[in-house]
Amino acid sequence: MKRVWMVLTVVALGAAWACGGGGEKAPEGPKKLRLALIPKGLDIPVFDYARVGAQREAAAQGDVEVIYRGPDKADELGQKQILESFIQQKVDGIAISVLNAEFMTSTIDKAVEAGIPVVTWDSDAPNSKRFAFYGVDDFKSGQEMGKAAAELLNGKGTVAFLTSLGAYNLQRRLDGVKDALKAYPDIKIVETYDLKEDPVRCSELIATGTNRYPNLGAWISVGGWPVFTRNALAPVPPTTKVISFDTNPPAPDLVKAGKAHVLIGQKYFGWGSETVKLLKDAIAGKRPANPIIDSGIDKVTAANVDEYIALWQKMESGK
Amino acid sequence: MKALWRARELSTVAILVVEVLFFTWYLWPEAGRSHPFFNFGNFLLIFKYSSIYGIAAIGAAIVIISGGIDLAPGAIIALTTVVTGYLFVEAGWPLWAGAGVGLVVGALAGLLASFLIVRVKLPPFIATLGVMGIWRGTAFIITEARFYDLSSKLPPNWSIAGLSVDWLGPIVMIVLAAVFQRLMTGYQWGRSICAVGGNETAALFSGVPVNWIKTSAYVLSGVLAAVSGVVLAVVQGQGKADLASGYELDIIASAVVGGASLVGGRGSVAGAVLGALIFGVLRNALPQIPGATFYDRLIVGVVVIGIVVMDQVLTRRSAAN
Repeated sequence: MKRVWMVLTVVALGAAWACGGGGEKAPEGPKKLRLALIPKGLDIPVFDYARVGAQREAAAQGDVEVIYRGPDKADELGQKQILESFIQQKVDGIAISVLNAEFMTSTIDKAVEAGIPVVTWDSDAPNSKRFAFYGVDDFKSGQEMGKAAAELLNGKGTVAFLTSLGAYNLQRRLDGVKDALKAYPDIKIVETYDLKEDPVRCSELIATGTNRYPNLGAWISVGGWPVFTRNALAPVPPTTKVISFDTNPPAPDLVKAGKAHVLIGQKYFGWGSETVKLLKDAIAGKRPANPIIDSGIDKVTAANVDEYIALWQKMESGK
Repeated sequence: MKALWRARELSTVAILVVEVLFFTWYLWPEAGRSHPFFNFGNFLLIFKYSSIYGIAAIGAAIVIISGGIDLAPGAIIALTTVVTGYLFVEAGWPLWAGAGVGLVVGALAGLLASFLIVRVKLPPFIATLGVMGIWRGTAFIITEARFYDLSSKLPPNWSIAGLSVDWLGPIVMIVLAAVFQRLMTGYQWGRSICAVGGNETAALFSGVPVNWIKTSAYVLSGVLAAVSGVVLAVVQGQGKADLASGYELDIIASAVVGGASLVGGRGSVAGAVLGALIFGVLRNALPQIPGATFYDRLIVGVVVIGIVVMDQVLTRRSAAN
């Protein structure tokens, strides 16, 4: 037992040291605004661009400190706990991409009632007391994907969907795709695959689905899983079109290689930079006239992919 | 006892055959169309994706037979993809060197688990639960939510010795299954694993080096999970901290469906690979049935319970006879 306590003590001391408990005290300076940026999950690569955008904006503003914290993976309870901890810490503002709107509404309201302005980004909690939402309209984005598929197929053929069940924004995008396809009665939806947020499962389903439907007209993915690696689309024949959400690398390279045909992207860096601006304004008493701020989308095709890659490099380098 | 094991592996093969026949019949195509399930390319797909679970399931089966449990394979797989990816993509190391370090990390992961179990005397469930968190967390710390795109540095349509990289996982899985099946059945080490899992005290009094045997089981489980991680990184072209999330349960289920007894002392590594293939067939075939993608969790759950119940009934009957 003694040995167990010894091990636990060593681990606890190590953790305290690693967290900076034993480090030097930071020099006192002018008080900075402490803004919390909460993603759906730390394991989702696109959210890291939000962190970069926010920290870059904070550095530009000079009087803002961004604290980026989220659950390891898309875990509703974990996200709620983090939100509550920021309320306890009395941060100056919170920007959150909400995993489950209904589940999180009361906690967002609690933050607002405690005097902390809250802005949502990427995924909204429309019935909460948040003062604004910054992001794309998922339904409209889905409609764009549906229209793009119909154009590529000349209004005729078969399509299969890739999604993960349970996420509100993905469902809205899927609803948008289906809504747009209603106008094309000669396009038949052959399957909706649930890949459970697992990129390996995504590759497996694309291979299996291609085997099942060798003459498939188009894959429509409402998340970026098929374009986050170059290998997932390898089994797809050149006759099948690929329309996918997300435009971050290596996705544009797949457009260049002719493996993907239309990508719909969001303002990833803007999730961070714009919400920092919005929170700073809100703290100063200035709120947007319309609480829904549509960030707009980026549509990447073979026609503009080089331009987009150059733009991305510029955004990534911050120059 | 040996005969019973053999019978158990045969029953796993029988389940697999029945499963394949069922889906061949159910997915029979309309006239003029090729069969979507019963074709060589599709069977390669099943082997390719099952190998990620199957290689790790060999290690899981060894640990379960030794009377333990290992919840860390999913995390070790992810960490190995990250370490291999980091060294190959960011540090510019050759792939083999990055993969080699990945395997060493797997061995260290197993060593830490065995230290906690053998020396600190933690229950295997708790020790490997903690280790799982440590390795998954380490993978997140290394990647900081980004991922390593190995596919950008690997040549397109890459092949090894003239064979498509798709064959890598299946070949590694089959070779490792054959090697470890032989080690488990034909060598003192394998018999000691069963003895420790069957009755640890009796094994100790019989002169079996119990601590060493347990350590070897966990280290091998770590290394085999790392092999699975290397295969995943190379074939999928990604090193990412959240890969293989929740795979530990599928890996354990493969070993159990393949005949490994959760109370220890009984099981087979070949059975574990067959168990992984049983799940692989389900994962492949269910999405080919329109609408069934939403039912696959339910069906997999029912299949696990059904096969384990059948195993228990067969075991009781054999014991009664």
